[in-house]
Amino acid sequence: MDLRPLAEPIAGSRRPPTPVKIVIAGGFGVGKTTTVSAISEILPLTTEALITSVGAQVDPIGAVPAKTTTTVALDFGCITIDDDVKLYLFGTPGQDRFGFMWHDLIHGALGALVIVDTRRLDDSFPAVDYFEKAGVPFVIGINVFDGNLAHDVADVRWALAIGDEVPLITFDARFKLSVRDALLAVLRNTIDKNRTRAATRQ
Amino acid sequence: MSRADDPRYAGIDPDVSPLRPYLLTSGRTQPVDQTLEVEAQVLTSQRGAAAHNSLTFERRDIVELCQVTMSVAEVAAILGLHIGVARVLVADLAELGYVIVRRPGTRLTQDIDMIERVIRGLEAIS
Repeated sequence: MDLRPLAEPIAGSRRPPTPVKIVIAGGFGVGKTTTVSAISEILPLTTEALITSVGAQVDPIGAVPAKTTTTVALDFGCITIDDDVKLYLFGTPGQDRFGFMWHDLIHGALGALVIVDTRRLDDSFPAVDYFEKAGVPFVIGINVFDGNLAHDVADVRWALAIGDEVPLITFDARFKLSVRDALLAVLRNTIDKNRTRAATRQ
Repeated sequence: MSRADDPRYAGIDPDVSPLRPYLLTSGRTQPVDQTLEVEAQVLTSQRGAAAHNSLTFERRDIVELCQVTMSVAEVAAILGLHIGVARVLVADLAELGYVIVRRPGTRLTQDIDMIERVIRGLEAIS
């Protein structure tokens, strides 16, 4: 890399933009990376998070909590909103055992999109459960891979045991505008939840 | 002999650095500012640019890379660092005044103006 620019003052640089983010969660293979790729300005990047977690199960022999170190991939992309705001999308592993990482990631998120594959609904339980408990406004997005829903939307709501307050949408992770609409649903839901909270407080 | 062929490295993923992450962070595993967000924006300051030659390894790489503003997550991805390591290093550099860090606002989920701004930005995508 040419280092000469370093001799120049960096005074001319623009002030860094304000970052905001939306978290994209869901089980393995539901289309998180596809979703980020469809709309990101940059090729989605992957970084690794090194994780040490104390296993929930106690080692039956030593009675010592099993401590495991795992590396998980974190896919992300970004969208320039305007001169001073940049939106980041973080796709996070949806498995239960990575829950602690969500905590780290969702801090400051505008909301979350929990992607569901109706053929493997079980995989979405941990994410749904987590966001409900964490109080992060989220929307369930059914990724319609091939234009067909394996189940009726109402059945999915029932199967996931989510109330009417959680919006449930269908989208196609391969298409930019479909992903855009899913993200808009996430943001509008966050605004709605704010209004609801403000109303109940009065 | 490459590491892939070296019997001493049998069973070890050749793409994984043999250096444990804590060696890069001088033994610390917690950033100075533990809450540094992965989307926080990083830009090298004049002081950082001036100190470039005195820095080593990853710190030097970061100061070099962030002549263009980017997120902590991008720093990690581009330099092939674990996200936790990138956070520690960026927080250290910020502490020294070598990089400027712009963090997201607080209580963003309640910042209706900001959310509406993002909505307008997304609606403009076609």
